[in-house]
Amino acid sequence: MSEDSPGVRRAWGWVAHLRAGGTTPWRDWSGAGEPHGRILPGAQQLELLRRLNEAGEAAPELATRVLEASAPGRGRPDLELEGAVPPLAFGPRPVDPAGLPDDELLRVAAGLLAEDVHAAGRREPQQPATRRWWRRGRYRLAGDVVLTGPVRADLLRQGRPPGGRGASVLVLGTDLATMYVHAWTARSLSVGAPGWREWLDPHVRRGTLPVRIDLARIARSWSDRVGAERVHIVLDPAELPRLVGVRRPLATPVPLSADATDLARRVGQALGLLAVPTEKRALLRETLRPRLAALPGPELVLPPEHRERVHERATHLRDALLRAGYPVHGDPDSLLPVDRAGAPEPSDAGVLALALRLLLEKKN
Amino acid sequence: MARTVLLHVGTPKTGTSYLQDVLFRNRRTLANQGILYPADRFDAHFLAALDLMRLPWGGLEAEAVGAWDALAAKVRKHDGTAIISHEILATASRAQAGRALESLGHGDGAEVHVVLSVRDLVRQIPAEWQENVKHRHGLSYGAFLDQIRDPERATRIATWFWGVQELPDILNRWGHDLPPERIHLVTVPPRGGPPNLLWKRFSLAFGLDGVDLDLEAERANPSLGAPETALVRRINRAANRELNPADYRPLVRELLAHQTLSRRTGSPRLALPPDAHPWVSDVTSSWIAEIERRGYDVVGDLHDLVGEPPVREYADPDNPSEKLVAAAALDAIKALLLESARLRHNEERLERELLDTQLALERSYLRPTYRWREKLVRRLRGSSAGRGLLKVYRRARGRSSREA
Repeated sequence: MSEDSPGVRRAWGWVAHLRAGGTTPWRDWSGAGEPHGRILPGAQQLELLRRLNEAGEAAPELATRVLEASAPGRGRPDLELEGAVPPLAFGPRPVDPAGLPDDELLRVAAGLLAEDVHAAGRREPQQPATRRWWRRGRYRLAGDVVLTGPVRADLLRQGRPPGGRGASVLVLGTDLATMYVHAWTARSLSVGAPGWREWLDPHVRRGTLPVRIDLARIARSWSDRVGAERVHIVLDPAELPRLVGVRRPLATPVPLSADATDLARRVGQALGLLAVPTEKRALLRETLRPRLAALPGPELVLPPEHRERVHERATHLRDALLRAGYPVHGDPDSLLPVDRAGAPEPSDAGVLALALRLLLEKKN
Repeated sequence: MARTVLLHVGTPKTGTSYLQDVLFRNRRTLANQGILYPADRFDAHFLAALDLMRLPWGGLEAEAVGAWDALAAKVRKHDGTAIISHEILATASRAQAGRALESLGHGDGAEVHVVLSVRDLVRQIPAEWQENVKHRHGLSYGAFLDQIRDPERATRIATWFWGVQELPDILNRWGHDLPPERIHLVTVPPRGGPPNLLWKRFSLAFGLDGVDLDLEAERANPSLGAPETALVRRINRAANRELNPADYRPLVRELLAHQTLSRRTGSPRLALPPDAHPWVSDVTSSWIAEIERRGYDVVGDLHDLVGEPPVREYADPDNPSEKLVAAAALDAIKALLLESARLRHNEERLERELLDTQLALERSYLRPTYRWREKLVRRLRGSSAGRGLLKVYRRARGRSSREA
C-alpha cells in the first residue's frame, strides 16, 4: 500500500476529508491528498469515522483513535478500499465501505468503547451504612440476579447486609420470559455471552433453564442447607419490604433497551482484553450500565415463536415450586410469560447507533 | 535496548510448538549467549499475542491483560538479541504489526527481523481442518474446503485460515516497514527428509548454530489420521452441548486426540482431496513467484511449498471406513476406561483420607477436656454477660474467626 498512485492519493484525500468532519461516501469521493500516515486505515475504520461525522461532531482525537484502531476479536481483517488499489492477487478483497455490514463497524466501535470504559475507571465505592443489628428480618437473596442486585445494594445502603443467624432465603423471580432476558443481560454484563438468539434458542429448544433463573433448583439447594420453612419464593416485589423488615419500597432494576444490552455484551468482549474479570464486571455494571440505562429504546422481549414452549416450561416451574411447599409471596401464575411490547432481538443498526452516540458523548 | 529482535510470527503447524519448547527449556543457556527468550511460562508469548491483537481465547485472555507491553519492555531492556515466537501473530493487522514493531524498538535503534516458517498448503489445509476439529468444531472437511475456497472469505473459518496461511498477505502486513533482507522465510522440508533438517533451518534463521541446546522435545502438536479425525468430529457433535470447554480440553483434546488417537499407526493419512490439488497448485505458484519477486531471505527451498502430488488412495474423512473409525473408537473407549479407573482409585484414596481425618477429628472431640470446654461455651452463650466474656477471651487470644 505504500505505492503512490491516483487511487492511493484519492484514498488519502478521503482520509483528510473524514478527519475534517466530512461525510461524503467513498464511492462519491473524487478529491486527492498526500499520504498522512504509515498505512492507509482500513475500510471499517474509515466508514466508522464517516458514520460518526454523520451522527455528530467527532473530536480530532476521536478521529485519530478510530483510524488507528484495529477491530478486536476474530472477524474480517482490516480491508482495503475498492478502487484505491489495483485488484490484489492476495489478501481479502477490497470493499466499498458503504457496503460493510454494521456488525463489522461495531467490532471497531466496541473496541474503542471498551478503551473509554477502561479509562473512565470504576465509580468511587459507596461506604455501606453502619450495620443495624437491632433490625428484624434477617435475609439472604437468591434467584434472578437482575432483581436481586438493586435490592441487595439498597439494603446495604440502609445498613442491612444479607446473612446472619436464621436468615430467611428470599428467592426472587418474575415471569419466565423476562427471566430469560434477565439471565442473558446478567451474563452479558459479567462473564460474557453469545448473541441473544444464539444463547436463547438452544435453551428454549431443549427446555433448559439457565442456573440463575431455575428457581426450583435454587430453592431446593437452599432448602437442603437451611430447611424448606426458611425458603420463600418472592414473585411480588411489593412483598419484599415486609419480608426484610423495612418500611419503604426497595429499589427495582433500571431496564436496559435491547440494543443497549447487546452493546454492553460487545463492549464486555473487548474489555476482557483490557481488564481482569472482576474489574471487567465492575466496569460493565458500574461505569457502562448507567450510561446505557439513560439511553431510550425498546426492551428485549421473548420472540413470539418461543412463547408456547416457555409457557410450558414456566408451568412446570410453577408446579414444582408449589409441590415443594415453599411459601410463595405473590401470584404463582405470575411466573407464566405475559405479552410485553418490546424488541424480540437487538438490531445491529440500533446497536451501532448507540455506540456512535456513546463515542461522541465522550469529548476527548 | 535489544540490538536485534527476531520476531517469529507463524505460521501454525510448521514445528512452532517444538521450536518454542526448545527455546523455553533452554532459556538459561541462551541467556548465557546473550540471547533473551523472555518467558516465565511456556505460553507467555501466546498470551502476549492475544493481548496485542485483543483476541478472546476461551477465557485465557484474562491472563493476557498487559502481556504484550510487559514482553516488549523486557525486550527493550535487554542488551543483545531477543527472540519472540508465536504462530497466531500471523493474523495481526497492519496496525497491530506496526504497534508491535514500534514497541520492540523498531525505528528507535533496534534491528527487528521478522521470521515466518512456512509449509505447503497440501499439508496445511488438512492440518488446519484437524485443528478446528480438535477445538470442538463439528464442521465437515467438505464444508471447510468450501469455505476456504469461497473468494468472499466471509466466514470466521475462512478469515482465520487465510489470516494465518496466506504468505504474501502476512508478509505485507508484517513486512510493511521492513527491508526485504530483514524478512526471513523458513521452509518446512517435505515429508521423509532428514529428521533434524527443519531444526537446522530454524537454528540458522535464529542464529542458534553453535549454541549447545537440549533438543529433546517435551511438547508437540501431534497429528491424527483420517478415521481418527472423523471420530473426534463425531464426538464433538455428540458431546459438545453437554461437555464444558474446561473438560473438553483435558479429556478430548489431550487424552483422546493427543495421547491416544495420534499414537495409532497404519491409519490412512488425512490428506488434501485430489480434486483440490490443481487449485492449491495455482495458489502456491503465485505465492512462490511473488515471494521470489520481493527478494526475502529464504532459509530452505521455496519449492518446498509445492507439496506432494495427490495421494493414490484418498481417505475421505467425511465418508470414512466405518471399520477403521470403530477400531479408533475402541481405543478411545479403552483410554477413557483406564482414565476412569485411575480417577476412581484417586477418589477411593481421597475418601479413605477424608475418613481418617474425620475419625481423628472425632477422637479429639471425645477428649473430656473438649467436652468440658464445649459445655462452658454453650452456657456462656446463654447470657449477654457470658457472650461478652467470650468476646473478650477471643479478642485476647487473637482469634479472627467468629461463630457462624
